[in-house]
Amino acid sequence: MIKTIDGAIRVAMADLYYLKRNILTVLITVLVLPLLYFISFAYGLGSTVDETEGVTYIAFVIPGIISLSTLSSCFSTTANKIMLQRRFYSSFDEIILCPVSSISVVLGKSILGIIRGLLCSTVLIVLGLLMTDDFLITPMLLITILLSCLTYCLLGVVAGFLVKGVPTFNLFNSLVILPMTFLCGTVFSVSAMPSFLQVIIAFLPLSHTTNCIRSAALGWEFPWISLVLIIIYGLLFLIVSKYLLDKGRV
Amino acid sequence: MIHIDELVIKYGDFVAVDGISLDIQTKGIYGFLGPNGAGKTTTMRALTTLLKPTSGSITIQGLDAIKDMQEIRKRIGMVQQYISLDKEISVRENIICHALLHKVPRKEILSRMKELSLMLGLEKYMDKLILDLSGGWRRRTAIACALMHRPKILFLDEPTAGLDTQSRHILWDIVRDLRDSGTMVFLTTHYMDEAEALCDHIAIIDGGKIIAEGTPVQLNNLIGKVAVDFERGGKVITKTFASRDMAKEFISENIPEDSTYSLRKTTLEDVFLELTGSGLGGVVDD
Repeated sequence: MIKTIDGAIRVAMADLYYLKRNILTVLITVLVLPLLYFISFAYGLGSTVDETEGVTYIAFVIPGIISLSTLSSCFSTTANKIMLQRRFYSSFDEIILCPVSSISVVLGKSILGIIRGLLCSTVLIVLGLLMTDDFLITPMLLITILLSCLTYCLLGVVAGFLVKGVPTFNLFNSLVILPMTFLCGTVFSVSAMPSFLQVIIAFLPLSHTTNCIRSAALGWEFPWISLVLIIIYGLLFLIVSKYLLDKGRV
Repeated sequence: MIHIDELVIKYGDFVAVDGISLDIQTKGIYGFLGPNGAGKTTTMRALTTLLKPTSGSITIQGLDAIKDMQEIRKRIGMVQQYISLDKEISVRENIICHALLHKVPRKEILSRMKELSLMLGLEKYMDKLILDLSGGWRRRTAIACALMHRPKILFLDEPTAGLDTQSRHILWDIVRDLRDSGTMVFLTTHYMDEAEALCDHIAIIDGGKIIAEGTPVQLNNLIGKVAVDFERGGKVITKTFASRDMAKEFISENIPEDSTYSLRKTTLEDVFLELTGSGLGGVVDD
């Protein structure tokens, strides 16, 4: 375990140097999207909606925006970085050539995305605490955000390994990420959707991270099944990315 | 040191490497010479464990390239044709990252980095971003990275492709210094002059097959030691001879006095053109 984490940190070093050099740029790019979501949904839409599922709309939507931001920042950071290193800089070969395990490579390439996801979530949590009394910081909230960041980074690794260039990356975004963004109950209640769509939505990981983050932040009964499903998704992405790396399909 | 047995690498139906067998025991500079698309880089990627062969086997220092992949990776360094550095961080940061990836003890990293930056003339460039460097300096940085963990074998894929003449000669000197310091260098090139000037041993590859192998002298002798270039019917024809006397005899008998011709040593280019089927006009033996 220690060997795997040590290997992951070694793999992540180049990304961490990049982060150190570009911290301001990274912070700005990380925060623009969630703040826009926040302004448009919490203020814009929130002023026209009284209550959703028994709480104010602003309290309802902030956990959804946190969940959405972990997906967008973690996935895009990780997938973009790997795609660039594989297809444009060829520097991913250097990582493959080094004597560290494939699990360390996968986890190491997730670290930058996790940091960005956590930075983004921290700002949104602070906003949530300032904007509504219903928003709580609980251990399960922090655990779920961390697991959510890791899971979406691992999904980013899978995408980064599979895509052949910008067009296939955009295709992946359009077919996987964009539908999740709009369908998984981040800014509205899933109960408003037709029942057949609710079944499909129940299979998407963002539904479960949103469910867990919202329940933990609003003091609702915690959906343990959703947490287990997030872990299963994370493990699945880890296994697929390890398989792709071990089989030389990267 | 490197043993390749019946190596075949296919991409779908396309055969990139077609049954190569080699036993490389030399400790100096081994060159893989061939035109673009001959299978040089594909073979090198298999040797460096980046690519799994379709069939055949590779052993490096007695280790199997598939079973002992991790151990081989500790013993080799590689500089790719398309410089594989992180462009958005500095030379120093790239070198440190490579050292960490190859588990160089943290205490040794600074001293080794200083040693290599001196050797490669990188001292002034250590804090520059890779994005801001020219091709030659990027190549030197990549070599520094590849040498951080003191590899036994250094693989260089087209090390001077795209470089100006001055940078090429500087890199040749660096490669010779590496050879002299005991590192085996395996390089691919499509430049005949580079192979001739640099390599102690050369394999000529074309269409995924080895068509000749030996020292530059041995390869030159395959088609004779002396070449005569002369004009006939508006075309330049080259004929090769086993000795200078035979070449002179040919000139006196076949080339009119008022015609221009040149008498020279055969080069690797003559050998290459002859062996790959482009033809030189035939060899005259003793």
